[in-house]
Amino acid sequence: MQKLIKTLALSLLIISLFSLPLLAQDRKTVTIAVGGNSVDSAKDLANMYMEKNPDINVEIVETPSSSTERLDLYLQFFEAKSSKVDVYTIDVVWPGILADHLIDFNDYGAKKIVDKHFEAIIENNTLDGRLIALPWYTDGALLFYRTDLLNEYGYDGPPETWDQLEEMAATIQAGERSKGNQDFWGYLWQGNAYEGLTCDALEWVASHGGGQIVNSNKEITIYNDQAIKAIDRAASWVGKISPPAVTGLQEESSRHIWQNGNAAFIRNWPYIYSLGNSEDSVIKGKFDVAPLPGDEPGMSASTLGGWQLAVSKYSQNKEAAVDVAMFMASEEAQKYRAIEESYNPTIKSLYQDEEVLESSPFFEDLYGVFMNAVPRPSTVTAPNYNEVSTSFFQSVHSVLTGEQGAREALGNLQYEIQDITGFEIK
Amino acid sequence: MSQISNNLFKKEQSLAYKMLIPTILILVIIAIYPLGQVVYTSFTNRVFAGVEETEFVGLDNYTSLFSLTIKELPKDKYAFEVLPREPKRYKELTTFSIFNKQYIIGSVHPNFIEAIINTIIFTFFAVFLETLFGFIIALVVNSKFIGRGVMRAIMLLPWAVITVVSARIWEWILFPSRIGFLNMFLSKLGIGNGQISFLTDSGLQLPSLIMVDVWKTTPFMALLILAGLQLVPNELYEAARVDGAGRVKQFFSITLPLLKPSLAVALIFRTLASLRVFGLFQVLVGQQRYSMSSYNYYQLIGNRAMGLASAISVVIFIIIFIFAVMYMKTLGVEDE
Repeated sequence: MQKLIKTLALSLLIISLFSLPLLAQDRKTVTIAVGGNSVDSAKDLANMYMEKNPDINVEIVETPSSSTERLDLYLQFFEAKSSKVDVYTIDVVWPGILADHLIDFNDYGAKKIVDKHFEAIIENNTLDGRLIALPWYTDGALLFYRTDLLNEYGYDGPPETWDQLEEMAATIQAGERSKGNQDFWGYLWQGNAYEGLTCDALEWVASHGGGQIVNSNKEITIYNDQAIKAIDRAASWVGKISPPAVTGLQEESSRHIWQNGNAAFIRNWPYIYSLGNSEDSVIKGKFDVAPLPGDEPGMSASTLGGWQLAVSKYSQNKEAAVDVAMFMASEEAQKYRAIEESYNPTIKSLYQDEEVLESSPFFEDLYGVFMNAVPRPSTVTAPNYNEVSTSFFQSVHSVLTGEQGAREALGNLQYEIQDITGFEIK
Repeated sequence: MSQISNNLFKKEQSLAYKMLIPTILILVIIAIYPLGQVVYTSFTNRVFAGVEETEFVGLDNYTSLFSLTIKELPKDKYAFEVLPREPKRYKELTTFSIFNKQYIIGSVHPNFIEAIINTIIFTFFAVFLETLFGFIIALVVNSKFIGRGVMRAIMLLPWAVITVVSARIWEWILFPSRIGFLNMFLSKLGIGNGQISFLTDSGLQLPSLIMVDVWKTTPFMALLILAGLQLVPNELYEAARVDGAGRVKQFFSITLPLLKPSLAVALIFRTLASLRVFGLFQVLVGQQRYSMSSYNYYQLIGNRAMGLASAISVVIFIIIFIFAVMYMKTLGVEDE
């Protein structure tokens, strides 16, 4: 009998020892999926949040920096109805694809904060009256140019048209090469076959008056003379003012070349502004930003980018996850990111904030670029946007690598998009 | 007497079956059930991570994968103007000309047909070169010299690195400017202008991928061949030498025949693995050029076409199965 009691007591002790960590876990954990250049600031924000809310533990999961790969990963989480990730950072073009798996912020009292944000983005994130994502930051592509080189070669301002840009880039490139820098190039952009090329190519097409691939009446408009002119023009840059390598470049790889002082112009997102001005940057203080050029002056177009915060339907801590997402989208957090990393806030009042403007003066001048950025046709083609975009960037990529001309590629593309969406061709 | 032994035999047999039940159960759970699920899904239009109703579509996924059409292509027209669009749209696969007339082959999923061709070319050259280099390395490492043990360990390094990691390393080596090692190296030798785009130039993509795979998997080949070499008894060589056979004769009469079983196993291993290649293609050429597996992944995850992707999986399974049977028959593995 005594033996039995001893055994029982011992097993109870062992069981309770093993369950201790479980009992101690009254801190809820909220996991955020972040990728690319947002990881560091997400960690800072998580720490800020945990200081105020010691009972919640915020963890960061690093995901691929290529947005195409990140979407692939998210879809796998959603197919498995995984509760591993609570808060997802999602691209501005994904709400239509992911809406079924995300919670409605309106159920958690988001009504009182939506008015502070840009209307266009709130509209983009609202599907059937459900606000499925909070805006985190907005993006519009800009033309970054080297002020010192433009001065040296006798130009008094950034180019307003693509013709001017081509001429300036060619002149500066020839000059720098004759000085001995064989790796210098005139103009850098993102030409790899991925979502980034959809952004770049949409800007070329829109800035030539070639439309936005699919118009808001669900008509396919991509096969037109201006669009063909735009894509052919970009293909002519490869190997001339842009390196042949440009057909393999993404945001970060192109930034590396630029930040090492090996380019006169680059098309990129605002985040590279503060990185270019960091202490170890070769080009610190030697560059400025302008709107992208157009076919004619004033025809500039910038693709609407930016990332949103969404909470998974399969999360086990929805309340806490929503609270974390709300904090990360709050005025305080967006101001921090604007000052530290030049990410564009989605809260209108921050564009008048003195501290923000001091660190990123271009926010004031280029407010219009961000306000009037061209959206990709993600809402109109939902839920097939990913397929439409893949067809588009693959077609453009085949023109850039010289496999076919723009007329043939875009002619084929219009039927391809018709095949995917069932829309009429205009 | 026979009655008793017969009973005993039956008893043993039923006991054997009972003992096999766990194994069979596990096989059913981990192999047959998922495979059956894939085959079932391949007859539907299921959407990955979707909430829509799934419908049964019969053989539709399979027929669309292999639908081909040939049309004449007039000089002043583009492919998309000639190829049929109803009920399914055909896209250009390739063009050819006979008797001064241009013809075009259209396919509903040209990328899939190209993926099969890419994979087979990749497999053929990669396995051939790996076997060749593996053989040479194994012969060298098999001879006695100082530091042989260290040599063998070093030799295995590339194989020990995870594929995705080594693919990322190669991405930097192959970077299409002088930032990349290979361009730097070649331009120092006076080859190219330091701007060769190994991974975006369509003529260089497959050779680059084959090069990376050869770098990575030759050690594995060498290891398997080396194991075979060590099974060859030394007495045979001694006897041959006494009979006056030269080195070359020894190699073809002793080494090669005795090595056949291990070589066959190595070849089957590598061929089947190469046909499934995914990581290299996905990391290095992504959406530009597909292998069978990376195309399958794109259809499943990128396009969310789970039904079609399942059909592709079944086709890949059958192709690999055919290769396996072919190898077994020609190399006579069963008899060994």
